[in-house]
Amino acid sequence: MQLVRKAATVSRAKGLAAEIRWLLGVSLSAILLFPGNSAAEDGSQGAQIAATCASCHDPAGRGQAIPPIVGMDEQGIVKAMLAFRASESPSLVMHAVALSLTDGELAAMARYLTGKANAGWQP
Amino acid sequence: MTDWTRRQIGGLVGGALLGVAAPHIARGQGRPRVIVIGGGIGGATVARYLADLKSIDVTLVEPNSTHVTCFFSNLYLAGLRSLASLTFGLETLAERHGITIIRDSAVAIDPAGKGVELQGGPKLSYDRLVVAPGIAFKFGEIGGYDEAAAKIMPHAWIAGPQSELLRRQLKSMDDGGVFVIAAPPNPFRCPPAPYERASLVAYYFKQFKPKSKILILDAKDTFSGQELFQDAWSRHYPGMIEWLPSQFTGAIKAVDVAARSVVTEGETFRAAVANIIPAQKAGLIGEKAGLTDASGWCPVDPVTFESTLQPGIHVVGDSIIGGDMPKSAFSANSQAKACAFAVAASLTGSPHFPPHLFNSCYTFLAPDDAFTNALTFASEGGKIKTVKMFISKVGESAEARRRTAHHAVGWYSAFTADVFGGGS
Ligand SMILES: Cc1cc2nc3c(=O)[nH]c(=O)nc-3n(C[C@H](O)[C@H](O)[C@H](O)COP(=O)(O)OP(=O)(O)OC[C@H]3O[C@@H](n4cnc5c(N)ncnc54)[C@H](O)[C@@H]3O)c2cc1C
Repeated sequence: MQLVRKAATVSRAKGLAAEIRWLLGVSLSAILLFPGNSAAEDGSQGAQIAATCASCHDPAGRGQAIPPIVGMDEQGIVKAMLAFRASESPSLVMHAVALSLTDGELAAMARYLTGKANAGWQP
Repeated sequence: MTDWTRRQIGGLVGGALLGVAAPHIARGQGRPRVIVIGGGIGGATVARYLADLKSIDVTLVEPNSTHVTCFFSNLYLAGLRSLASLTFGLETLAERHGITIIRDSAVAIDPAGKGVELQGGPKLSYDRLVVAPGIAFKFGEIGGYDEAAAKIMPHAWIAGPQSELLRRQLKSMDDGGVFVIAAPPNPFRCPPAPYERASLVAYYFKQFKPKSKILILDAKDTFSGQELFQDAWSRHYPGMIEWLPSQFTGAIKAVDVAARSVVTEGETFRAAVANIIPAQKAGLIGEKAGLTDASGWCPVDPVTFESTLQPGIHVVGDSIIGGDMPKSAFSANSQAKACAFAVAASLTGSPHFPPHLFNSCYTFLAPDDAFTNALTFASEGGKIKTVKMFISKVGESAEARRRTAHHAVGWYSAFTADVFGGGS
């Protein structure tokens, strides 16, 4: 973590934090207190990819038919996505999404989602 | 519709009269301003994602106070959903996401002066403009079919009063009548939807009017999901649905509203109820603003969704020439997110990554039998190209189809929350 951050970067992190607040139901203050944490830092790419998730996964985590992704840990998300990438049988949609993301993008997305959840999401 | 009317900037509208010398409405405290025209699926999503970045002032222009989703409207026609359950207000976008909603229609765009004229009078100025007006109909291609005829032979291709009209007609139709669906030529909004409509209306007939028939007069010779539909029709509704491709009929040439008949090259078909879905083009403001080309649709850059004809103006949703992307709500939502991040990058210098574009649609064959597809896209040589495509198969287990139908219902609630700003 760099100690000195440009104002623009911080405000970007705040914007993204706000954006993800609805996505995961996290507490904004927890993120703003730690603008330099890794989730906020790589949030821009992670957030842009995670925006896709919200087209099917309920941001409030109320999904039943389509399972919630809120509160999953980083490794769990990566593992699930790799399994979806390997097989089309559980879900055509998740197979397609997983195939389209590079390993780097997948990691950024998982880190982003869990970083936000850890920063204040309460089940 | 309680609170959001408060935010319809009535004062501003009154204060800024249209005219050459009239001042533009002031921009909000130094923040860049984006105007979004159209509060349907594409426009609401762009507005919401831009507003959530907090660094941009977002104004959404939409004449209707609520949006009725076209997706799931075939379930309504079959009596399986209420129209109310498909209706969304824009108030959450205003109250929770800080978007200014103006209930009006955009009538002109001034790209050089970066201004939008509204029917109600004032001129709004913008730093970037996003246009998402959906579709318009090419009335006139079918002789005798115009807006007045649509009040008797509904298209029901923009959900709302048209859907209610068609539902009423289906309900009052005598058992044994013929329901004619005129399916449009490509490209059009939601390629599988005319055939989903046939399936779900057949489900309704099977229960309440089992002697009735459905005749699809198609402007095409093949259609999206054809094998899956034809398999389902023989399983669920044997003998009830007949599909006539254009090569057999020469396609529809005219309608006779008074006689309730549909005229093809060689034959005239009497309909108890006729659903005429005309050929389509971009929403009218697209043409007026010089955003459309000879195809009638709006060409765009596949990464930023900026118009290739009018710099500084972006277009998303059904109005665009989407390359391989079908005109669907899912596509519109996916394009809108890519567009929002690109617009933010251009205005605030925020980072921008290559967008991931997706489409996934759920299509009902019966209430507990649905199929799905999933497509990924990438930009290639200035066009949107399909990278991968997966689709349900004929012969899947009933259990798999039931699960897909169940997923569809989950998707509907999550998706509409994403678009209209529900959720937490
Ligand atoms: C029967 C049917 C079933 C469908 N099923 C599915 C499905 O299962 N899945 C799926 O993904 N898609 C489905 N679709 C397609 C989906 O509804 C459309 O693709 C989607 O609505 C496109 O979004 P849009 O924003 O481009 O247009 P719209 O959602 O139509 O929004 C356009 C908005 O712009 C406004 N507008 C127009 N002109 C102006 C103006 N001058 N000023 C201000 N506002 C203006 C309109 O009032 C409207 O609110 C279906 C469509 C139909 C007809």
